[in-house]
Amino acid sequence: MISPAGLARRAAPVLACIGLLAMWQAASLALKNDSFPTAIEAIRAIPDILGDKESLINILASLRRMAIGFGIAVSVSIPLGLLMGRSRAVAAFFNPLLMVIYPVPKAALMPIIMLWLGVGDVTKTLVIFLGVSLPVIYHSFEGAKAVEEKMLWSGAAMGLSPAQRLVRIVLPAALPEILTGCRTGLVLALITMITSEMIARQSGAGNILFNALDMGQYDTVFAMIIIVGAMGICLDAIFERVRARLVRWSEPQFDMPLSFS
Amino acid sequence: MKVVPSRSSEWVRPVTPQKPASAIIEIESVSQVFQTSARKDHVALSDISLAIDEGAFVSILGPSGCGKSTLLYVVGGFVSPTSGSAKIRGRTIMGPGPDRGPVFQEFALFPWKTVLGNVMYGPRQQGVRTTEAEAQSRALIEMVGLKGYENFYPKELSGGMKQRVALARTLAYHPEVLLMDEPFGALDAHTRTRLQNDLLNIWERDRKTVLFVTHSVDEAVFLSDKVVMMSKSPGRIREVIDIDLPRPRRRSELLLDPRYQKYVVDIERMFDETDPVGSPS
Repeated sequence: MISPAGLARRAAPVLACIGLLAMWQAASLALKNDSFPTAIEAIRAIPDILGDKESLINILASLRRMAIGFGIAVSVSIPLGLLMGRSRAVAAFFNPLLMVIYPVPKAALMPIIMLWLGVGDVTKTLVIFLGVSLPVIYHSFEGAKAVEEKMLWSGAAMGLSPAQRLVRIVLPAALPEILTGCRTGLVLALITMITSEMIARQSGAGNILFNALDMGQYDTVFAMIIIVGAMGICLDAIFERVRARLVRWSEPQFDMPLSFS
Repeated sequence: MKVVPSRSSEWVRPVTPQKPASAIIEIESVSQVFQTSARKDHVALSDISLAIDEGAFVSILGPSGCGKSTLLYVVGGFVSPTSGSAKIRGRTIMGPGPDRGPVFQEFALFPWKTVLGNVMYGPRQQGVRTTEAEAQSRALIEMVGLKGYENFYPKELSGGMKQRVALARTLAYHPEVLLMDEPFGALDAHTRTRLQNDLLNIWERDRKTVLFVTHSVDEAVFLSDKVVMMSKSPGRIREVIDIDLPRPRRRSELLLDPRYQKYVVDIERMFDETDPVGSPS
C-alpha cells in the first residue's frame, strides 16, 4: 500500500517528462517551423533509429569508446588525486598543470589530436579521457585533503605503512567525494562523446545526429537528442545505484543517533 | 640536571642520569616550537622532562594551549619534537607504533567499517587470523558495553558509543601504553561520567600504563595516580601531584571523601594561578 505522498513522489518524474513533451508539442505547433518537429514526430522517429542495425552499431560504438575513456580516466585520476591530496610536493607539481587544462574545452583540442592520432577511436577516446579526468582528479584531491589526520594516525599506530594508509584509509574515507567526481565525469563523458563525434564524423551516435541535421531530417535529429538524453538518465541512475551501495556507511539510516551513553 | 617540581613521587619523577628500571616512558628535555608566522614562533613545549612508570595512570592537566596534547603526540610518535627525545622502554620513539595506542577526542573511527570492522582492524593488521580477531573483538565490544551493536556503522552511534568503540579498537591490538587525548572532551556531562567509571573498571583489570590528557580537574583527580600540572606560554610542567586515593575508586564514595575534595580544590587553585584570565577554548 503506497501512501499518497509516496505516490506523488513516484509520479513526479513521469509528470515532469509529460509536461515537458506537452510544452514542446504546443511550442512546435505554434511556431510551425520546418526545423522544429513536434514531440510526437520526434518520438515516432525513435523506433526507426533503434530498429536500424547500422544505427545500433553506431550507438554501441559510441558507448564502447565512452566506457573505455571513462574507465581509463577514473583509474588514472583517482590515484593521482589522492596522491595530490596527501603530498604537498605532488600537489604543487600537478596543480598548475591542471589549472591550465581545466578551463580549456576538450573539444577544442580535438583538431590537434586528430592531426596526431587520426580521426579514429584513439582520438575520440582520448578526448573523453581528458573530459572525465579533471573533475575526478579534482574531487579525489579534495576528498583526500579532507581526510581527518587523526584517522591516519590511528592507522599508523596499528602499523599501516604510508602506502597502506593511502589505499586502506585515504581511499575509502574519500570515496563519497571521489564518486561525486565520477558522477560529474560520467555526464562529461557523454557530452565529450557526442562532441568528439561531431568534430570527427565517422561513426557513433553523434554521427547519426549531425548527418541527419545535414540532410534536414529534423525528426531524426530530435529523436537522437531524446535517445542521448535517455542514455544519460539511465547511466546516471545505474551509477547512483552503485554509488549508494558503496557509500551506504556515509548516509545515516536513522534520522537521529540512538540515545545511548 | 633538570629539576622538575615534584612532590615525593614514585610514579612520575624528573629523569635522573640513573634511569629507574620501571619507567616505561621517558621524556627527556622535549621542546616543541611551531612557526605560526614568519616572525613569531609559538613555543608549545619548553624543556619537558618526565618519566612514567609501567602501570601508572598519569593525567596531564592544563589550560587550553599549554601543549599537553602536543606532548602526547610526541609520545605517540605523530609529531617529532624540535629538540629532546621521548623513549619507550629505552628506545627512542621515531614514529607511531602498535606499542602505543591513541584514543582521540575526535574518535577518528573508520566510518566505512562497522563497529566490529573497526575493532578487528588492528588485530587483522597485526596478522591475527580472522576468526580469532573476530572472537577477541566481540569480547572487547561486550566489555565496553556495546554488545548488539557489532554491525552498526559509526554514523549510527552517539558520541559516547563512538568513544567506546574507539577505546575497544585501540585495546584490540594490545598496546603497552594508552594515549588518551581529551577522550571525553566532546561528550555531555552524564555520558562523560559514565565513561570515566567504565574506563576505570576496564583499567583496573589489567592496569595498562595510561597517559591521559584533560583540562578537567575532577576528571584528572578521579582517574589518576599522578597529575602532571602544566602551565602555558611556554608549555612547562608546573607541578606533579600524587593522588593518594584508594582503589578501586567508586564515584559515589569519592565525591564524599574530604581527601578527594581537597585535591580538587588545591589543583583548581593552582589551575587559576596558571591561567588567571581563563583561556579561550
